[in-house]
Amino acid sequence: MSPPGYRAGPASAAVPWGAWGLRAAAVLYLGALVLVPLAVIVQDGLRQGLAGLWRAISLPIAWHALRLTFWTAALMAGINAVMGTLTSYVLVRYQFPGKRLLEALVDLPLAVPTLVTGVMLVVLYGPQSPLGGWLESSFGWRVIFAPPGIVLALLFVTFPFVVRTVQPVLEDLDREQEDAAATLGAGAWTIFRRVTLPALSLSILSGALLSFSRAIGEFGAIVIVAGNIPLYSQTAAVYVLGEVESENRLGASAVSIVMLATSLALIWLVDALHRRLVRR
Amino acid sequence: MDTHLRARLQAACGLLALALSSACGGAAEEEVGSRLILGAYTTPREAYSELIPIFQSRWESQRGQPVTFEESYLGSGAQSRAIIEGFEADVAALSLEVDIERIAEAGLITHDWRSAPSGWLVSTSIVAFAVRPGNPLGIRDWADLARPGVEVLTPNPRTSGGAMWNILGLYGAAVRGGVQGVPAGDQEAATEFLQAVLRNVSVMDKSARDSMTTFENGVGDVAITYENEVLVGQQAGQGYELVIPGSTILIENPVVLVDEYVDQHRMRPAAEAFVAFLFTPEAQEIFARHGLRSQNPAVAASTAAFYPPVRDLFTIEEQFGSWDTATPRFFSEQGIFTLAISQVQGE
Repeated sequence: MSPPGYRAGPASAAVPWGAWGLRAAAVLYLGALVLVPLAVIVQDGLRQGLAGLWRAISLPIAWHALRLTFWTAALMAGINAVMGTLTSYVLVRYQFPGKRLLEALVDLPLAVPTLVTGVMLVVLYGPQSPLGGWLESSFGWRVIFAPPGIVLALLFVTFPFVVRTVQPVLEDLDREQEDAAATLGAGAWTIFRRVTLPALSLSILSGALLSFSRAIGEFGAIVIVAGNIPLYSQTAAVYVLGEVESENRLGASAVSIVMLATSLALIWLVDALHRRLVRR
Repeated sequence: MDTHLRARLQAACGLLALALSSACGGAAEEEVGSRLILGAYTTPREAYSELIPIFQSRWESQRGQPVTFEESYLGSGAQSRAIIEGFEADVAALSLEVDIERIAEAGLITHDWRSAPSGWLVSTSIVAFAVRPGNPLGIRDWADLARPGVEVLTPNPRTSGGAMWNILGLYGAAVRGGVQGVPAGDQEAATEFLQAVLRNVSVMDKSARDSMTTFENGVGDVAITYENEVLVGQQAGQGYELVIPGSTILIENPVVLVDEYVDQHRMRPAAEAFVAFLFTPEAQEIFARHGLRSQNPAVAASTAAFYPPVRDLFTIEEQFGSWDTATPRFFSEQGIFTLAISQVQGE
């Protein structure tokens, strides 16, 4: 997440070497660490041209894996947008016992290895657990080893994203408008809907997009909870592993390119949204 | 982004390479040829931890000079790729012939390994089932896996050699007339039977070990797996039971010298002696104690009590020609398995 609003001042004209050195170091670092490996994947995926790339993506199993990845991530992002906003609203506006603990818990999902997340979810919701067994026998809902398990895993893994983008905006929000609306007789819900929410909308959107982009590449938790049946519960990242393992680098890279391009587009979008946010 | 996954794979390889290059550098400086590097698949790890000390003491008493070991255990396919990409294993002990073939194609194995003096298929196993204690669903043979409501586990053939054995075992048994209701030689009926079983598969893990872990965690009624996975699990205190189908495929595990690295490290005498040692009755008995069926007829006879004979045991050569023909026939884009799973999920 790029910190909004901070711009470095112009470097001192007398000694530009330090500044140039810093820039060169940053660019080289980024290039070696991010750009070169990405370029390798793109080159790999395009070695049979665009037609080859398209053919690899349009194989039923690959295409299904991509669709599954995107719809589960989109559903997760939607839920995150609502629940993340609610959480940050509660954290900023209300005082209650245990608030500090809750505040600390928000970031915890980022610290838990995602593989552990997966195991944890299987223990909790798996068909053998009391909860999972009950859901399946009473409602016929299979959570783990089915697409709902993927959404659940993604929700856990990306929990902090919306909360942490909305929270600072909410904290800085000028409450005069809300007070004015209250004076004019608007109810709490109306105030939230007509005054607070519009001010938060950009940050909610950018948080949701970031979590979406993070979710596309999730592997560790998903490979445990999804069941990984091709054309049913196998996501793109798990498909890519299969293709790498069976020496189909073109297939692996082609699907990777789609995931990568989507993430990149979203990150650009988030960045653009941030700029708008800052200008306001 | 799959960079996540890819980065992890590459980081793992990078670390391995790093660890090795420093280790090899050190070895070269002190004394030529005293460290043997074994690149193996995961299943026989416990067997090797017994075998290696015996070989070491033998070697030292015969040659008056110690030999140290460096061991690495990975999934067979991953190990094979690691060796190609510079993990300098002197001896490769893998679960599939294709994984050895890949190393040979990369030019690292230059001798005719299929006619190595001591042999090259060091241990065998069969495709079998693990079922719940007491076998509550009464699973006896392949046909039971297609019954409605039976939950089956088998790993993903794209990532697991074990899963490929499972599918070939199932399909082979079906076309050989080993599955009730499937006429011998009827490929269409065999494919339908494959679909019926796939319909019952709820989880496809990425390796045979992972699949057994899922089963151990209480998921599924049957896991299709190697016989030795079940036996080793039972030795470790797992309560599940082994069911051997009437007709199944013989799994053969190769051990081969990697010439390029052996010569670089000047380890040929020790490496050859180690491979020969693995085929001695003594070593074969150790493999047998760890769930693997022995290649040695005498050892096989003496351990027959633990390894009941299979009514109709077939090899990949007999049934499918070779891996080179079976792999594309079953697992390519238009392969029998790929089409079957598409059919099942498309319903």
